[in-house]
Amino acid sequence: MQVRIHFYSYFKDLAGSTEVTETVAPGARLEELLQKLFIRFPKLASMQRSALVAVGVDYQAGDYVLAEGDEVSLFPPVQGG
Amino acid sequence: MRRELTISEKNIDERALLGGRAMSAGMGAAVYFLGIVRGAEEGGPIAALEYEAFRQMAERQFHLVFDQAETRWPLESVRLVHRLGRVAAGETSLWIEVIAPHREEAFAACQFIVSEMKRVVPIWKKAFPLA
Repeated sequence: MQVRIHFYSYFKDLAGSTEVTETVAPGARLEELLQKLFIRFPKLASMQRSALVAVGVDYQAGDYVLAEGDEVSLFPPVQGG
Repeated sequence: MRRELTISEKNIDERALLGGRAMSAGMGAAVYFLGIVRGAEEGGPIAALEYEAFRQMAERQFHLVFDQAETRWPLESVRLVHRLGRVAAGETSLWIEVIAPHREEAFAACQFIVSEMKRVVPIWKKAFPLA
């Protein structure tokens, strides 16, 4: 199953891309996808404790079960205002 | 609760926003807060901040924050404008108005909305040092 991942703010620089796709097994949880991404993008791995993760337009925890067509976003702590 | 949310690259027109204030007879408090870009960040002078958003999610998260505020205080309206793109030092990056019957709930709701925005709304900024 293919999942598209978007990066925002300086995570784009750490990943060297604004978006990528990753293959996961059907029924995979979000945390499994994140572990793949942190191996694929080692510079991002140093930020994994503070990284925020959304699926679509809602925050999700690591136990979220990914579904076909999900779009995942990964970004640093927000700084509006 | 009436709500107006604007996330835009355009300058914030404070005069026009103030002119658009609408309060019913039972409302006695209008609280405004402006976020202004400081001329210094992390110890050094800066020329501007560049704001970036995940716009669709930012809209969704702002509305969730407004939903929470609405359940906690008897608000008549919230209007919020957030700039994106390059905002020079001294310019307004955030404008918010909260209208409620009394000052306590208006101040509390305004503080809550701004604090929650800084926690959950996906907007980021990058500083541009003075050349």
